[in-house]
Amino acid sequence: MAGNDQDEFYLRYYVGHKGKFGHEFLEFEFRPDGKLRYANNSNYKNDTMIRKEVFLTPAVLRECRRIISESEIMKEDDNNWPEPDRVGRQELEIVMGNEHISFTTSKIGSLVDVQSSKDPEGLRIFYYLVQDLKCFVFSLISLHFKIKPIQS
Amino acid sequence: MAANPSYEAVDFEPDEDDLMDEDGAVEAEASPAAPPAPRLRSAITGGAGDSSGVPRKTKGRGFREAEAEAERTRRFAAKDFESLGSGGGPGPQRSIEGWIVLVTGVHEEAQEEDLHNSFREFGQVKNLHLNLDRRTGYVKGYALIEYEKYEEAKSAINALNGTELFTQTIYVDWAFSNGPIMRRPMRRRSRSPRRRYA
Repeated sequence: MAGNDQDEFYLRYYVGHKGKFGHEFLEFEFRPDGKLRYANNSNYKNDTMIRKEVFLTPAVLRECRRIISESEIMKEDDNNWPEPDRVGRQELEIVMGNEHISFTTSKIGSLVDVQSSKDPEGLRIFYYLVQDLKCFVFSLISLHFKIKPIQS
Repeated sequence: MAANPSYEAVDFEPDEDDLMDEDGAVEAEASPAAPPAPRLRSAITGGAGDSSGVPRKTKGRGFREAEAEAERTRRFAAKDFESLGSGGGPGPQRSIEGWIVLVTGVHEEAQEEDLHNSFREFGQVKNLHLNLDRRTGYVKGYALIEYEKYEEAKSAINALNGTELFTQTIYVDWAFSNGPIMRRPMRRRSRSPRRRYA
C-alpha cells in the first residue's frame, strides 16, 4: 500500500566516510513539500561540493513511495545489520504513513557482504532499495541540471 | 528483544477527534495537557508533522545516535543549495536543457525503443532514461523523457497520460515543479500552538 498523497512522506539517504580526503559523502532527501535535495562531496583530486535542489511534482513523489512500498523496507529492522565503521556508514530515514524508520549500517561492498551478515534477507532488501533510489535520484538530478552525479 | 522505546508520545492525542466533535472540547481547552515529553528529534524538521493524530511508530538505530544527528543537521543547515531559478508557485519547471516528463506504470518488459516510438510523435526525444530494477534486471516501472520544447512535453502528457502500453496503463506527467506541493489544509488542527516544526 503506497498510501495517498496526503500521507506524510519523507526520505533521506546518506552514504559517506571520513578519510584522508576529508569527509566524502553523498546524501539526498525528498521532503514533504516535494523538494529534492542532493549533496555530493568528494575531495579526491579536486575539491568538489555539489549541492542541488529542485521541487518535484506529486507524480514523482508517488513513484518514489511506490518503490519504497514495494521493497517492504518498512518491515525490516537494522538490529542485526553491520554497524557503521571506519570504512563508512549508510543511513536511511523514511517517514511513510505513521511509520518512521531511521536505519544505519556500514557500507556494503557487494552481495557477499549481504550474505555473510546476520540478517541477509533484510540487508538484501536495503541493498537493492538503495541502488534503485540512487538510480532514480541520479536520473532526476542529471536530467535537470546536466551534471554527472558521482558515485560515492 | 529489547522493547522499542521510541514511540512519539507527544503526538498521541487519541481523543482529539471526539473532543473536537463534541462540547467537551471546551473542557479540553481549559486543562492544557502536560508539557510534551521531549520529542525524538530527527532530520525531518521541514514541516513534517503527522496529520492523523496517531502515534508514529519509530524503528532503527538512527534514533539513538545523537552525534550522527548533530552532524546531519549541520550538513543540511547549509543554505547554498543551487537550483535553477524559478518564480515559485505552481506549474512545471524547465530543466537546464528542456522539459522532463515522468512516465509511470511502465511494463517491466518494455524496451527503450517502445517508449521512443510512442513519445517521438510529439517532438524529438532528447533523452530517455528507462531504469532497471537492480535485483531483477527488469524495468523498474518508470521512465524519464526530455523534450526541448514545452509544447512537445505538454502534448505528450495530454495525449499519452492514461493510455495503454503493453496491457498496462501508463501515467505521464511533469517531473519538476516551480514550487512546493500545496497540501490540502488539515481538517482540524488550525489551533494547536504547541505543535510547531522548525
